[in-house]
Amino acid sequence: MIIRLIQPVFKSLALVLPALIPSWRFFDAVSASPRLDYVLLAKQTDDSADWRPFRPRPERLTFPAMLRRMLWNAERNESLFLVSCSERLVQNPTAHSQSEILRRIARHLAPQADATPFLQVRLRFVLPDEDGALNSHVAYLSPVLAVKDLL
Amino acid sequence: MTLDGAMQLTTLMMGMAFIQQSLEHLRPAARPAERLLFVPRLMLSALLVGAALGLPIPPLWLLAMLLVNHMVILHFFAGPYNGGYDRMSLLILLCLTAAHAMPQHRELAFGYLGAQLTLSYFISGWVKVVNPAWRNGQALRDVFRFSAYPAGENIRGWAQHPRLLLAMGWAVMVFELAFPLALATRPTLILALVIAATFHGANACLFGLNRFFWIWLCAYPSILWLQERVVFPLLP
Repeated sequence: MIIRLIQPVFKSLALVLPALIPSWRFFDAVSASPRLDYVLLAKQTDDSADWRPFRPRPERLTFPAMLRRMLWNAERNESLFLVSCSERLVQNPTAHSQSEILRRIARHLAPQADATPFLQVRLRFVLPDEDGALNSHVAYLSPVLAVKDLL
Repeated sequence: MTLDGAMQLTTLMMGMAFIQQSLEHLRPAARPAERLLFVPRLMLSALLVGAALGLPIPPLWLLAMLLVNHMVILHFFAGPYNGGYDRMSLLILLCLTAAHAMPQHRELAFGYLGAQLTLSYFISGWVKVVNPAWRNGQALRDVFRFSAYPAGENIRGWAQHPRLLLAMGWAVMVFELAFPLALATRPTLILALVIAATFHGANACLFGLNRFFWIWLCAYPSILWLQERVVFPLLP
């Protein structure tokens, strides 16, 4: 009973302390980098492997676009949050990280859900091998889920 | 810069930064629950900007309510939404709230923000310089080559210029490590803050880290005040 009462207090402290006594260890090491892919399916039993990168970066980001993003960068910031969720999902798996990834991707794809109402998501990590070539391995594969159930 | 002036400026800038990021969470694509959290944040931040501009609203209550709102948001995202940005936001909010709540200790509370700002640069430089991958340029090449940060595919092309990246990496490390020395005089501190703001601006352009740019600027008045209050009296 007491533990249940003080648990939220400890959780709040755990969230506040890194801000009150920050570590400021930005970019101290570059590790494997997450990529999210999705496949939209017409039926839950489809076994299509038409994986597409979720929200790919623009091929060419112009300087005026960079300046606009100084004031409005909502999608990019959400993508950065999904990078955090992906790292959390591997390092310290929780239902929250999984749910955030699936729900945010589903909302993004909702306009296409009439024709292809089912969604599967995979998480890959990209890392160079000993020869420097980039390789990726799948760290998480979601079940096939109905997009409407995730909205 | 007076303590009141520095606190007022930080309050104004933080309120505007919070308005910018709250609006990003209010787009229709965001979940209703998420939007619900950022509507009060937007309103409180707008009132805080008004208070900083002279409207007769006591800032302490606005800051305290923003703090509560921030905690709820942290729980909603199970941690920070954008890493260091959220940490600096919460740090500024905590320091301003403490400064208003405990007027007898407000120099300590606001000075802590200035000290942490200095540490944010110095420690960032230290953790890089002790890493061989940063010293030989490999780490910055990896950031551009395969990390999740470059905001456009054309930016990844920078990885093909190892000498440029080696020079850039060392420039960043030397600047970050030398930042505390800039406190010695007013011109050097102002120059260091201009360089630091340019660095954050470059990160915003290349990596899409726009929120870092705005929130780090909010803490600059604290270090300008801290220099006058603590550093200058210590110098001969």
